[in-house]
Amino acid sequence: MNLNSMVHPVYGLYLMLIIGGGITAVRAKSLVRALVGLIVTLFGVAGMYLLLAAPFIAFMQILIYVGAVAVLMFFAIMLTRTSDGESGFEDKAVDKTYRSRGFMSIWASGLMFAMLAMAVVRYMPRAIPLKPETTMAQLGEFLTGPFVLPFELISVALLVSMAGAVLLGFERRKAK
Amino acid sequence: MNYLVMYHLAALALLSLGIYGLTSRKSLVGMLISVELMLNGAGLALVASSRLTPAIDQLGQIGTLLIMGLAAAEATLVLAIILVVSRRFGTTSSASIAILKG
Repeated sequence: MNLNSMVHPVYGLYLMLIIGGGITAVRAKSLVRALVGLIVTLFGVAGMYLLLAAPFIAFMQILIYVGAVAVLMFFAIMLTRTSDGESGFEDKAVDKTYRSRGFMSIWASGLMFAMLAMAVVRYMPRAIPLKPETTMAQLGEFLTGPFVLPFELISVALLVSMAGAVLLGFERRKAK
Repeated sequence: MNYLVMYHLAALALLSLGIYGLTSRKSLVGMLISVELMLNGAGLALVASSRLTPAIDQLGQIGTLLIMGLAAAEATLVLAIILVVSRRFGTTSSASIAILKG
């Protein structure tokens, strides 16, 4: 079977997941729907990692993002509310900058996409055929060899953020 | 079309969707969702670049793993901040958080 002929339709499917989920994530009025859109996007990106023959990263994406970050955000939605006392919705109060801000957001993102896309299409080097898959043992050797300093730094960053989150939670309880 | 360009355009779409959401959303949770979109775009661009160019393969994959770790740390901290803001101001709308000395 020619695998190369499979790449385009599958890529299109994942791209549709990414774009559709992304638009839901940034446009939906209900934050829960936005989060579901984000999860669809995450699965699309994981599919693209699989398409690039990087299965370890693909499953880490599902494990870390969908398993941890998305659940964390569901808690954030559950525990907060808007000014009308409703939980899980965008604030509906329309102020006078509302329209112009939406317009400028479209401009900012659209213009940036156009400029960067032009640069990407014009200056991107030629792609080489997909390299053989890097095994997990190789990744681990790299992580504990040349990349050991970032590896340790990320554990420090995680520890600091966890400690900071706990500290913020404590202060909240004392104030009550 | 060049495969590298295809993957980079997908990453770019994620980035600009994230920028749009970050600037147009009013609730802090919505802005956090947009930031996650942008971080995903960065990861996709890194993995695509390392898989489809002669660069070292592990560099991109481990770099993406580190981005995921940072995103998890950031989400944890932002969740705690959102909770404190919600307790103090009664809302998580970014427009109403305008006092420096709470």
